[in-house]
Amino acid sequence: MKTLYVEGDTFLHRLSPRPKLLGLAAVSLTLFLIHSPAVLSGAAILGGFVYASLRLGWRQSWLRLRPIVLTIAIVALFTLAFNGPHDALVAATRLTALAFFAAVVTATTSTGDFIDEITRLAMPLERLGVVKAADIGLSIGLVIRFVPEILSRYQAIRDAHRARGLRPKPLTLAVPLIILTLKNADEIAAAIDARGIRAQK
Amino acid sequence: MDIRFEQAEARFEGRTVVHPLTLSLTERRIGVIGLNGSGKTTFARMINGLVLPAAGRVTVNGFDTVKDGDKVRGQAGFIFQNPQNQIILPILKEDIALGLKSRKLPKADTEKAVEAVLARFGIADLGERRAHELSGGELQLAALASVLVTRPDILIMDEPTNQLDLRNRGLVERTIHGLEENVIVISHDLGLIAGFDRILLFHEGRLAHDGVPAEVIARYHELAA
Amino acid sequence: MTTRDLVLAALFAAIIVALGLVPPIMLGFIPVPITAQSLGVMLAGVILGAKRGGFAVLLVLLLVAIGLPVLSGGRGGLATFASPTAGYLVGWFFAAVVTGYCSERFVDRSQTGIVQITGFFLAALLGGVVIDHALGVIYLAYVTGTGLSTAFIGDLSFIPGDVLKAMIAALAGRAVMVGYPLLPQRA
Repeated sequence: MKTLYVEGDTFLHRLSPRPKLLGLAAVSLTLFLIHSPAVLSGAAILGGFVYASLRLGWRQSWLRLRPIVLTIAIVALFTLAFNGPHDALVAATRLTALAFFAAVVTATTSTGDFIDEITRLAMPLERLGVVKAADIGLSIGLVIRFVPEILSRYQAIRDAHRARGLRPKPLTLAVPLIILTLKNADEIAAAIDARGIRAQK
Repeated sequence: MDIRFEQAEARFEGRTVVHPLTLSLTERRIGVIGLNGSGKTTFARMINGLVLPAAGRVTVNGFDTVKDGDKVRGQAGFIFQNPQNQIILPILKEDIALGLKSRKLPKADTEKAVEAVLARFGIADLGERRAHELSGGELQLAALASVLVTRPDILIMDEPTNQLDLRNRGLVERTIHGLEENVIVISHDLGLIAGFDRILLFHEGRLAHDGVPAEVIARYHELAA
Repeated sequence: MTTRDLVLAALFAAIIVALGLVPPIMLGFIPVPITAQSLGVMLAGVILGAKRGGFAVLLVLLLVAIGLPVLSGGRGGLATFASPTAGYLVGWFFAAVVTGYCSERFVDRSQTGIVQITGFFLAALLGGVVIDHALGVIYLAYVTGTGLSTAFIGDLSFIPGDVLKAMIAALAGRAVMVGYPLLPQRA
């Protein structure tokens, strides 16, 4: 599955996930405490610079940022209409800065590193008996593993509909898809247990 | 190999699926046959502890399936019918390495073990591939690799070739015949088990016949008629 | 969590991801395209119940957070949690839990089809519309500095589509319960 991680060797790439996530949290908190459009604009520009330093190129950057830029623009216009230019500018610059910094963390941290970090963070929860840390990586792996199978199954169901001259509708596609997929759960779970993957160490 | 059933019985939702059974399995190649609903699948799952006996007990190489389930599953690997449902991580190598995770080996040793087991089944070049790109036969071989990488003494297989086409079926059959491990196979495919040391025939939850392939298969044909 | 529950949740998370890859449908009378993913969230609650449905959605959110483009339109990464609509996204988790909890309480196999569908519809409405939109509106209001009522006006146009999804989820929930019942949770 394509990820939003971008290969590279910058300082941020080499930094481990935890300081980046903590830094992002700190930056986010600060941005929400600032209400000056001037400072927030500065933050947005700074964020833009850091993002640009990753050298993704204009097209890639636009593809990644477009959805959130559009959302921010719509929301800013909305705020402009109801609350006036000051609030609109504050909202727009704050959200843009947030988006840039968040996108930078995503682009410089691989999914594997993220999963390792989440597993480490879950260890104290494991001691409390809430969750098993290793289950998180296993579950994520399971999802990524089976998405392509489910997509194939979806195509097959849709093709079967078409072959019978039926127009595919959400209900008649979703129900068989769900039942056929979930029916495999018992065997998959048995295979996992038979291999002792979730056994207590 | 020393598998023992001591008056072991299996129930499901109040119904007896396998009546109290006492037997001992030591042969290298054992087949299990029977009609659908005869209890053969439950019997197989009682061996590795996926199904626990409601009465009596089952031991595998000295380990009780109830008290030492984890050790039992370390002794006996299990292959299921649907190849897609056994490889659970996106990339083959990672899935196979999963079985070794509890041993906490250094990364290089894990990689060597994974490569060795892939080579053993002739699928070394599939290591980096994604599971959903592979054929049923390739996935069953991958499942074998994932289960045998921990070198269990016994391998139980539940209808391993049922969902495979003819070519893949032949591939998996040849592989089974070449296995060094002790193998117990449940199968509707009588050709697969015809050369085995011993065959168990289940019927309505009981062991209806137990002996050499020729006679047991003949008895099966009678029951199925 | 039993292995079976973990697998059920993971498979459903995969279904929600797959639904994100299905192109949005335009229904004539609603000006907003209907994306299938939020339908998937309601379905998770209705079919798997609170714990497994909640975990399924949590997995989807984790996938987004670690940088996989699994949201409809290929969106993903931490930036989506920085978006003004992040309240709706995080709200998905609470929506699935509430829908699941209500489904487990309101619906059982002994009821007639109509009663089951009504129960599922209410559950999906409470979770997928009331809770999710409430959280979405609250965060939107906070992040833009507009009042709650203003943010709610922006939210209005999305409500009809989600009510329709709740209906679809209810019908699907009933059909799945007939074909492969998973509620009430078996041990």
